[in-house]
Amino acid sequence: MIIELHEFTRVEGNGKAEIIIDDGEVKDVRLKIIEGPRFFELLTLGRHYYDVPDLEARICAICYLSHSVASVLGIERALGVEVPEEIQLIRELGLIGELLESHALHLYLLVAPDVFGYPDAIRMATKHGELVKEGLALKSFGNRIRVMVGGREIHGINVKPGGFGRYPSVEELERVEKESEALLRLARRAVRLFAQLDPYGARAEHFVATDGYLWGEKLVSDEEGEFHYTERIEERSLVYSFAKQSRYKGEPFFVGALPRLLLKSEMLTPTAKRLFEEHREKLETGYVSYNNLAQAIELVYSLERAKEIAKVLLDRGIEGENVPVEAREGEGIGYVEAPRGVLIHHYRIDGNGNIAYSNIITPTALNHAMMEASLLEEARKLYGEAEERVMIQRLEETVRAFDPCISCSVHLVKL
Amino acid sequence: MMDNLKLAVFELTDCGGCALNMLFLYERLFDLLEFYEITEFHMATSLKVENHYDVALVTGTVSTQRDLNLLKEARNHSDYLIALGTCATHGSVQASVELPIREKLKAVYGDEGNPMRALDSKPVVEYVAVDFALPGCPYDKNEVYQVLLDIAKGVEPVKKDYPVCLECKLNEYECVLVKKGLPCLGPITYGGCNAVCVRSGLGCIGCRGPLPGEVNPAGEYEILKELGYDDKYIIRKFKTFARWEP
Ligand code: SF4
Ligand code: SF4
Repeated sequence: MIIELHEFTRVEGNGKAEIIIDDGEVKDVRLKIIEGPRFFELLTLGRHYYDVPDLEARICAICYLSHSVASVLGIERALGVEVPEEIQLIRELGLIGELLESHALHLYLLVAPDVFGYPDAIRMATKHGELVKEGLALKSFGNRIRVMVGGREIHGINVKPGGFGRYPSVEELERVEKESEALLRLARRAVRLFAQLDPYGARAEHFVATDGYLWGEKLVSDEEGEFHYTERIEERSLVYSFAKQSRYKGEPFFVGALPRLLLKSEMLTPTAKRLFEEHREKLETGYVSYNNLAQAIELVYSLERAKEIAKVLLDRGIEGENVPVEAREGEGIGYVEAPRGVLIHHYRIDGNGNIAYSNIITPTALNHAMMEASLLEEARKLYGEAEERVMIQRLEETVRAFDPCISCSVHLVKL
Repeated sequence: MMDNLKLAVFELTDCGGCALNMLFLYERLFDLLEFYEITEFHMATSLKVENHYDVALVTGTVSTQRDLNLLKEARNHSDYLIALGTCATHGSVQASVELPIREKLKAVYGDEGNPMRALDSKPVVEYVAVDFALPGCPYDKNEVYQVLLDIAKGVEPVKKDYPVCLECKLNEYECVLVKKGLPCLGPITYGGCNAVCVRSGLGCIGCRGPLPGEVNPAGEYEILKELGYDDKYIIRKFKTFARWEP
């Protein structure tokens, strides 16, 4: 017998799941990514490196900037280009904007209705309008940063190898500094709210993140130091999913906010660090559902870090100089932490500056096996114990904790 | 008060941007809700109320059998269907990968089997008649807002008929094609985005698709050749967002 979870609603993209029951027991789970393939690796083959980040942005609208930045990093490494701190900081600021926009959507508009027992944010808003409004305030701040750094709300083309088309102005940076300070209070309240949730899903056994907080030269895991993805991570194709499945040394593993906190807590900003310590015990149990709490702590981190970066840039002044880039043969990998976890862009470039090889692995693909493991664990717990409807609801929440490219609804609410 | 029009948003294979962009209308979405009731919007709500829609917005390309079934359902149950975004109108980036589907599957998944029934990506307009086509990757939100208001008021929305260049002139942006030699497709691309990429000092990559009519792609081709770009590069650039033309 197969219990079907129909196409998930309130998610970005199209996916569903099947629970396979045999002999009165849950035997297996299949997470089916049914969104059609778009062949980005092939799309970029033979293209000039300069045009590639703009194309790769189109992989995903919710985290387009993570894709452009990962793409630019891979290209720069292949071409042996190093950019100064100013450019690095502005890119990081863009990634922070994306983190804020994406986490706020997820936490306030998708998870919060589950917390308060509403089917969606629209209905929740009648009683908890204040909370929904707070989420929107954080979200739109994140989006304004994306426009400033990326050039547009969706699919901007401002992030280029060697620098930017246009650099942020003093006024824009001053605004970032002021607003991030003002919003901090809301983010702290979110941490209190999501700290109350009970754990569910599986406990992850392996965590992987980049070595820097939002990007890195290499990956790190809980077990060992730095490594390149090709050394430890294997991808395989599945007959029932357009997303490939990745394993770390043959096992499911977890990327995202919780792994970032657990592996890199020493890089956090002061308040975020304090909050992490306060909830460390819980987070260290490794339940995937604590990803929500981890995301709330990251809201605090992002606001504090945005303020820091704006201040540094304002103090030293923006030079706005791009680094010259020249075509040559080379190979490079760009590692970025998209809001949902590690994102990998790997390229080889030929002597004319055209892409000769490209491989892209997204966080949702990296987490695919872990999502299945979590669904399996939760289904085994609930099958035969709870009504089917209740089980299905909880299974959807389990998928949701990963925030698998989910977007949401709340702008439909009248506030 | 009159009954509100039933509005549906259907998402085929795409990046989610054209659906998300509706939500980025923020408070102006509430203004639209004076005229419309949203009865199907996969990304935004779990509610699914009607099976007849006054206006259906369809985003994405047809890239699987599922997409094709969904598109036909949308067409059969709607009075006014809008192909929304460059995926739906011209195929956008995924349709520019020109290999046959089996070869693509083999190259990426290592297998020629096609159990999930993938198809070669094509725009919505290749399969069904549409009542309006609004390109953009993503489209400009002001434009979709205006189009939906027009329809609600019983006015047929107007198509933009000028190139991005005009918007550069109005905004007094420096021409990146002439001044910097960047490969800008502004002269042959549908205006309506307010030349937002040129605002960043970068060339238009043609995400709104080619402007039909009097524009002169041959002229653009000559300019780019003179700037030193090779044939293959130029042709690929022209076809990236618009291998299919409605
Ligand atoms: S047209 Fe562009 S933004 Fe819209 S869905 Fe397609 S790829 Fe995304
Ligand atoms: S300037 Fe060109 S690439 Fe940029 S949004 Fe407008 S049409 Fe698209």
